Amino acid sequence: MESPVHHFELHRLIPIELFGFDLSINQAVLMMWLVVVAVALFFILGSRQRLLVPSKFQGIVEYAVIFLRQTVLDTIGQRGLVFLPFLTTLFFFILFCNLFGLVPGSYTVTSQVMVTGVFALLVYLLSFAVGFWYHGIGFLKVFAPPGVPALLMPAMVLIEVFSQTVRPITLAVRLFANMTAGHMVMSVFFGLMIMGGIWIGWLPFAVTVPLYLLELLVAFIQAYVFVVLTCVYLSEAIHLH
Amino acid sequence: MTNERGPFSAPGLGVAMRIGMELVVATTVGGGVGLVGDRYLGTQPWLMLVGIVLGVAAGFRNIQRYIQQMQDRD
Repeated sequence: MESPVHHFELHRLIPIELFGFDLSINQAVLMMWLVVVAVALFFILGSRQRLLVPSKFQGIVEYAVIFLRQTVLDTIGQRGLVFLPFLTTLFFFILFCNLFGLVPGSYTVTSQVMVTGVFALLVYLLSFAVGFWYHGIGFLKVFAPPGVPALLMPAMVLIEVFSQTVRPITLAVRLFANMTAGHMVMSVFFGLMIMGGIWIGWLPFAVTVPLYLLELLVAFIQAYVFVVLTCVYLSEAIHLH
Repeated sequence: MTNERGPFSAPGLGVAMRIGMELVVATTVGGGVGLVGDRYLGTQPWLMLVGIVLGVAAGFRNIQRYIQQMQDRD
């Protein structure tokens, strides 16, 4: 039986070595290019006609954007609409990465902690930049919660700094762990199905079908959660309790 | 919370996914940073213990912040 982590391995397709860095094109890079093209096509085709009474496909695109807009309005408020293009891009990129990973034989980009880590770091640096942009140096108050006795202040500041540092890590680990774990479980059951042969193999196969549907749900939920948390961080940077 | 987002609304699931991960990762990162620090400084268990306590505190602080936000929005 194949190792369940086998399909997370990266293989160099086109080896490129530049200034001592390994910049080879592997499956993950290839999948990301595909995803970029797919997202672009999704929006270009969806907004090409701009019918007043939208066609079915245009309706899907419009509903998705309206849904994200409502999420932004709920969590950040009117001032958050500046970030709507960024958040929409983020949502659709992660969603398409997750969904493309579910196609048999492809590669799940979001199962690499490197990829999700870069997303999380980007989001986190953005929220800090936004905080300093709106509040100047006063943004550092975020590390000193109000209503804390002076005696406890050093400990609270320490905890606060630490809890802020942990947040991008949780953001990255959540997405990566959910995608990796789901695919691993699925590959274990598919492996069992092949091992079981014709007499008992139907049992693991019966499990993989609902599991696959669950993974489909997880793909959507995780993309949504990532964007909602981005909204929460931006909202904290803008409103500063 | 008023629900005007139609059938896609899943705030409950989102919250559930957040809170579980928050505690685990904060504690692990705290302990891990302490462990690495211990290895470099040779102060065996102490930095790790401090790190774990700090991690648990940070995890609870993040959860408290989420819940406060949820209450504010209602």
